[in-house]
Amino acid sequence: MPTTISAGDTAWLLLSAALVMLMTPALGFFYGGLVRRKNVLATIMHSFFILCLISVQWVLWGYTLAFGPDKGGIIGGLDWLTLRGVGQEPGPYAATVPHQAFMVFQMMFAVITPALITGAFAERKRFKAFVVFTLLWATFVYDPVAHWVWGGGWLGQLGALDFAGGTVVHITSGVSALVAALVLGRRVGYGREALEPHDATMTVLGASLLWFGWFGFNAGSAITAGGLAANAFVVTNTAAAMAALTWMTVSWLHKGAPSVLGAAAGAVAGLVAITPASGYVDVSAAILIGLGAGVFCYTAIQLTKRLRVDDALDVFGVHGVGGAWGAIATGIFATVAINSGAKDGLLAGNPGQLGIQAIAVGASIVYSAVMTFVILKVIDVFVGLRVPESEEVLGLDASQHREAAYQI
Amino acid sequence: MEILAFASFAVLVVAWLVAPSRDNVIAVSHKAEDRKAA
Repeated sequence: MPTTISAGDTAWLLLSAALVMLMTPALGFFYGGLVRRKNVLATIMHSFFILCLISVQWVLWGYTLAFGPDKGGIIGGLDWLTLRGVGQEPGPYAATVPHQAFMVFQMMFAVITPALITGAFAERKRFKAFVVFTLLWATFVYDPVAHWVWGGGWLGQLGALDFAGGTVVHITSGVSALVAALVLGRRVGYGREALEPHDATMTVLGASLLWFGWFGFNAGSAITAGGLAANAFVVTNTAAAMAALTWMTVSWLHKGAPSVLGAAAGAVAGLVAITPASGYVDVSAAILIGLGAGVFCYTAIQLTKRLRVDDALDVFGVHGVGGAWGAIATGIFATVAINSGAKDGLLAGNPGQLGIQAIAVGASIVYSAVMTFVILKVIDVFVGLRVPESEEVLGLDASQHREAAYQI
Repeated sequence: MEILAFASFAVLVVAWLVAPSRDNVIAVSHKAEDRKAA
């Protein structure tokens, strides 16, 4: 294994970090288009603010909790607090890039994960509560689970495969979104008036930019600029396309028209589902993973709506269900023919991997749900989670930020 | 697995061919827009 810095690997990883950084403002546009006009600034601000907040949290203590020297398989030690010792030489996770390059690439994952949750409590959460929630959630949910899977923790030791964040990013955020939707309750007017997207074009633009950034998310997770990155790039694009086609088709058959927003949401669902598998599966598996994402995520969203759960922007259906499907699919389709450093899945003769993936899915669901519930309840006592009804009716742009998105 | 991949794509193509078409709704919508423009 080489121990000197590779210019190619470093360039690819830094570029990938920049691509993943773009995903968070892209998510702001994706969500921003889906809310009503009076809440678009507040919704975009969720993503933009998190980019700033977690960028600082990560260098101060987040990185060392997630990736610092292992403490009992549960959490990283404080050795790298304020990035002490994280410099220009390679670290323990990547032999051919500066430790700082690896750290900043991981930072962008830590940024986008809590931003995903904001879609569940859109249009009703108090800004102050959102700030405190994000800081606590990143510290007590994201950082530990990232350590369990990627930082030398117990799930990684068990052999769980998660190439770019199916469990760490999407299950944690999706399940937490469902809990947040249940704890906060429904928006004013839910079920009585149409809570329609105010700008579908903004949402499609956001989805397109998310797709673009996702190449850094998945192909960048190879850490090296080589064949594994190329495979991750190809399967990522394939699964996104297949899921968009599937979602659009299912919604066309179900509701009578090929939905544009459905195609955009389907692409995101496919990107989510291929994320944990992208370094382990071939292109045929990517097509089947995309197909499953389109069907399962669409169905999950119909179910949550039928149960009258106001997960405002369908975070659980896309990220929770898509992430779980991707993690399980990794246990089915993984093959060492794609990644010799990994393990085979069920179809390659290793059924045990499917069990390990199920344990990883279950552990991340239970931990995220319990911790998110506790964090929200504590915040509700000290800060209050929701804005008053009058402010919700007025809109969060005016009530929380004293600004308006449009002067037309 | 390749066969399943081909088959799943073929299912989508067939679904597009049999999916409902709403030409009449679009025509009504256009007429309404024309009236508004006039």
